[in-house]
Amino acid sequence: MKQHLYIEMDNCIGCRSCLAACTQCGGHDERNRNYVYDVNPLVNRQTIPLMCLHCVNPACARSCPAQAIQVTPEGAVLSALVEKCIGCQNCTIACPYGIPKFDHEQNLMYKCDLCYDRTKDGIPPMCASVCPTNTLQWLTEDELKQKQEQHQLGHWTASRMPFDPLEGETNVKISLPGILQGKQKLF
Amino acid sequence: MPKDKFFKVIANKEHPGEKLVPTHCSYCGMQCGMNLRVDTGTNKIIGVEPRYDWPVTLGKMCPKGVTAYQQTNHDDRLMKPLIRNDRSLRGTKEGFREATWEEAYDLIVRKFQEMQQSYGRDSLSVFSGVSMTNEKCYLTGKFARVGLQTRYIDYNGRFCMSSAAAGFLRTFGIDRGSTIPWTDLHETDCLFIAGSNTAECHPTSMFRIWEVQNRGGYLIVADPRETPIARRADVHLDLRPGTDLALANCMVHLLIKGGYTDERFVAEHTNGYEELAELVKEFTPEYTSEITGVAPEKLIRAAEIYGKAPNAVVMFARGIEQQHKGSDNVSAYTNMCLVTGKIGRPKAGVATFTGQGNGQGGREHGQKADALPGYRKITNPKHVEDVSKVWGIKPEEMPQPGVSAYEMFGLMKEKTIRGLYLLCSNPAVSAPNLNEVRSALMSLDFMVCSDIFLSESAEYADVVLPSTTWSEDEGTVTNLEGRIIKINKAQEPIGESKPDWLMQVELAERLGRGQYFRHLTSARAINDEFRLASKGGYADYYGATWEKIEEQQGVFWPCKDDADKGTPHMFLDKKFYHPDTKAKLCALPYRPPAEEPCDDYPLRLTTGRVVYHYLSGNQTRRIPFLHAMCPEPFVEVHPETAGKYGIEHEEIVKLATRRGTANFKVKMTEAIRPDTVFVPYHFGHDESVNLLTIAALDPMSRMPEFKVCAVQIHKTVHANKKQQSQSEAVIR
Repeated sequence: MKQHLYIEMDNCIGCRSCLAACTQCGGHDERNRNYVYDVNPLVNRQTIPLMCLHCVNPACARSCPAQAIQVTPEGAVLSALVEKCIGCQNCTIACPYGIPKFDHEQNLMYKCDLCYDRTKDGIPPMCASVCPTNTLQWLTEDELKQKQEQHQLGHWTASRMPFDPLEGETNVKISLPGILQGKQKLF
Repeated sequence: MPKDKFFKVIANKEHPGEKLVPTHCSYCGMQCGMNLRVDTGTNKIIGVEPRYDWPVTLGKMCPKGVTAYQQTNHDDRLMKPLIRNDRSLRGTKEGFREATWEEAYDLIVRKFQEMQQSYGRDSLSVFSGVSMTNEKCYLTGKFARVGLQTRYIDYNGRFCMSSAAAGFLRTFGIDRGSTIPWTDLHETDCLFIAGSNTAECHPTSMFRIWEVQNRGGYLIVADPRETPIARRADVHLDLRPGTDLALANCMVHLLIKGGYTDERFVAEHTNGYEELAELVKEFTPEYTSEITGVAPEKLIRAAEIYGKAPNAVVMFARGIEQQHKGSDNVSAYTNMCLVTGKIGRPKAGVATFTGQGNGQGGREHGQKADALPGYRKITNPKHVEDVSKVWGIKPEEMPQPGVSAYEMFGLMKEKTIRGLYLLCSNPAVSAPNLNEVRSALMSLDFMVCSDIFLSESAEYADVVLPSTTWSEDEGTVTNLEGRIIKINKAQEPIGESKPDWLMQVELAERLGRGQYFRHLTSARAINDEFRLASKGGYADYYGATWEKIEEQQGVFWPCKDDADKGTPHMFLDKKFYHPDTKAKLCALPYRPPAEEPCDDYPLRLTTGRVVYHYLSGNQTRRIPFLHAMCPEPFVEVHPETAGKYGIEHEEIVKLATRRGTANFKVKMTEAIRPDTVFVPYHFGHDESVNLLTIAALDPMSRMPEFKVCAVQIHKTVHANKKQQSQSEAVIR
């Protein structure tokens, strides 16, 4: 059963538990691979997570001259292979979201692999497991469909919908802020 | 327990060569479920794995929870007892030598006995905490009264939950922090949350809170700051710190005026309505707006929403409780539930967000100056008799009530108290008016501190005893719902560290009081005695055996016997715990904070937490991830205020109150009232905001007013330059 990382921006409280949890995935060398931004820190407390969106046709892999960036059958875009990566950093430039990180000591790119050793067995990635707000969720395709129906006004990014603000299809789905717009109140 | 809509069956990741030990977090009252990863070769804790099947939190954890395991085998852990060989270095980390347990015990026993022989039994004191299991909290109370035979015991719950406790006891006749289980929260129609920065202090409540809005329900937040939860609220009541009582009275005024009261409920199940209705008449939105600074329209809208909601939950935390009228604030906000009858049924009621891991259980079982196990009173002869029987002492041997936590420091300064046994607490950071508290610690003849790390308070000690983390011992804690849960041991104690209960049993033996303690050879043995001691009390744990906790995923107290499954929902029979079974509606006149702004101290200072740290920071400041995220305190200043003082973002400013000064880096933000500044309280030494806070105590709960005092703000760069030019002038 294919499952997706799904991001509901409105819910983020900026606790950065996703960053802490990322370091706890067995395959992550205790280094986090995701980001949380303060949107306008001098004004308010709004924050947003920035996770790898696991593009269906990822710019990082396309830009790699050494074919070091593999994409799994499930669509997870992995960190560069140690034996292939030549440290050119094309991927860090190519990624439109600024996701890949670079380890200068090892001369090696590393990035979110969607906790592949968990998700390949149907276990949610660490970030979505711990997220206290359900900003990050691990959903089946059915659950994802329900979300899309619920949030009529929250535009969807990168999902081949008519209002795509971003180019290309991604395996991670995002609901932009606005999930409560048009919400029918109970009373 | 029934599974709620968020529950999913998820198998845990299996790591070869490891086992998972299911337990709970070491930190706040949420007590999030977690699995500790233990290397089966070394038998050491090496990581964390979500506990997806824990019904309250479903694997979710905040960044403190995710990294909590890093405390256990931390390089800073105390491995052996320390004895101070240079008293002139007290108040610093220096002047200690490592010692054996025998040496440390011998010294403690000799000093304790000398002091008690010369100055009486009450010359010794115990200051404890509630980040430890019920078993330890219970035994600490017994150790003070029976082992040391002193009246002076109190605990850091006095800085945390005591106002909620006093307010609930007055209103309901019982103090269970939440009248409903947390799994009801997302199904209610309106949450009215006052003085709780929930997103940072109890983050794993947030998915349920957002769900109320996702369902079309409402969120009302009262807070001087636009916290992450206030940012998304339907109504944000941005009140001045310290004015909650006026706001709560106004809500009741508007609920009555709008016809939202449940007359039948009020008549049948409460007392005091007439008096309350009379008192709140004055609190019109306009009058209340003058006091609180909240726009009248917002007050009207908030009351309308709460009044119309089929089900609603009133929630609050330290923001309203850490005031010198904290107990009144608690009773006043609880009035909202009672006049509308929105209590005593599922999905409706009142709850306080318990701050410390065992803030609920730890306040019920006899660590309080005037309390005995089962929420009994030391001033009630029948209660003393019940507990004396379990302890095997004569009722007349039971010491008198002591004094509250902050008041103990006063007695230290005047030498009534000469010795201190401090455990599981760090008052040199967490107490208010720290210049006084630190000088009180300096005035002690002898001080013992038990901790896992060398805390700021341990720096004042003559003997430091290495205790165990939560993961190296077992026992029960009671979470913020009132659910008794089980903490499991994941590894053996590191170095020579010992659990606090074992130290107390061993010390009692050496103090000649072994007969009352030597049968307590394990946490489980203590649990058996403790459940018996609570039997028949308000907080009756007798039926909450470890087996039942395991089987039911926790047991809500009261749980009176084997057949009793516990009490997830309180007051379902609409019977409260006063003798006439009615709840008390409290008519509480407004009074301003102890210290109002004036020309000399023109701003309001308020304090609180950040998501990355817990309490005094003794644990979390040592965790690399948490330290990196928030390495130092800061002061939040509104740009308008900053402009007035010519202050810039990230500039170092000096804050001064009538009690002390401290320097902080400015964090400019529009998410705070212009008349208020905020500093987090997790930092030690010169970085402690409690150097500035006021120790005005609530007359009922003895809670200090951490949440508001009057403050000045000064530029330091400017002052330095001026100083420099002055000294240059002298040189010339």
